Amino acid sequence: MPAETHETRSPMDRTEVVELIRDRLADILEIDATSISEGQSFVEDLQADSLALIELVEAIEEEVGERTVGFRIDDDDLEDLKTVRDAVDYVCAKLG
Amino acid sequence: MKLPVAVDAMGGDNAPQDVVLGARQAASELGVAVTLVGQPEAIEAADPGDLEVFAATEIIGMHDEPGAAVRNKKDSSLVRAAELVRDGRASAMVSAGNTGAGMAAALLRMGRIKGVSRPGIATPIPVPGASPTILLDSGANADCQPAWLVQFAQMGSAYCTARFGVAEPKVALLSIGEEDSKGSTLVKETRELLRDAPGVNFVGNVEGRDLMSDAADVVVTDGFTGNVTLKTMEGLFRWLYGALFGVMTNTPERQAAFDVLWPGLEPLIAELDPDSYGGAVLLGVDGICIISHGSSSPFALRNAIKLADDMAAADLVGALAAAVASR
Repeated sequence: MPAETHETRSPMDRTEVVELIRDRLADILEIDATSISEGQSFVEDLQADSLALIELVEAIEEEVGERTVGFRIDDDDLEDLKTVRDAVDYVCAKLG
Repeated sequence: MKLPVAVDAMGGDNAPQDVVLGARQAASELGVAVTLVGQPEAIEAADPGDLEVFAATEIIGMHDEPGAAVRNKKDSSLVRAAELVRDGRASAMVSAGNTGAGMAAALLRMGRIKGVSRPGIATPIPVPGASPTILLDSGANADCQPAWLVQFAQMGSAYCTARFGVAEPKVALLSIGEEDSKGSTLVKETRELLRDAPGVNFVGNVEGRDLMSDAADVVVTDGFTGNVTLKTMEGLFRWLYGALFGVMTNTPERQAAFDVLWPGLEPLIAELDPDSYGGAVLLGVDGICIISHGSSSPFALRNAIKLADDMAAADLVGALAAAVASR
């Protein structure tokens, strides 16, 4: 379901969302961004713990929110985001 | 002007009363500037004297899920205290509230020191007649990777120097024997890395029984093992104190003998009292964060606030950044 938002700059396309999530994840986990692929799971493959995932969510909200005011990832949806692809698809769907 | 220490007035089993009392003691007895963060009416009722109060309307409870609480309770005392440090309005923060939320608030609001993979909790273990042994990680990361333990060794060494003045702290790895062949996969892989780690004076493996000796100044382990170790020691001491005092005072004759012994025992007990050390330090976040026990007494909080002030003055964050950058 698209967020109740309005855009302040050009909307992000899927490639930009992938790049954003990969870069933030690399910063948080102190790993090389090129080693992160969409099919990887946060916990099993990338060893991201719950706090690292919260860091990621807050970073995504901050950066996407600069372009799309009011963008927020619902806490209830977090447990469904198992892989990088899940997160990319979720953000893209929210952006409509 | 010297910055105050931001104190989460609403965190702890006896908050805000014990927190406010500890803060007043830190200010009046030790000269530390303090800002109490929390609900003004509750703080006022606890008699803060002339301490500064920063208003925060929400409270993160002991049973709140840490990440969600920090995300959703943005006007909580814990989150606001971390923001005061982030914004340069406080030199450090202290909380006796929800440990996980304290970690989350510090991590999410202050961020990590560049290059740090995971923050770790450093807890001093009292050693009679010597400086304490620093145990880390004592609970931040249940599952760890070998490279994280190497960073804990580097940060623990820098902290030991900043806090206890030990020039080249001896670093050991917690295991089930001194031999290379003993230990978990994590221990064996970490041991190989620690041998060549820059800035680490690695002295080999130690066992749990060595924690309260001068075998090492810093002992690194994963957060699961560290927390089990710490809680086991706490439980053992609590039981031992109770049992010994019970036996030594349960007849008039024993009580009389105890009264003779007490002047000798009291300093030893004070040295072993965790309240004397105030709290644990979260190493690796980009600011000073002291995590105190939920049941901290005013005396423990007073000492935690003093520790926070001292570590800010010693530029602990700068020392940690330099230690991690040396890898």
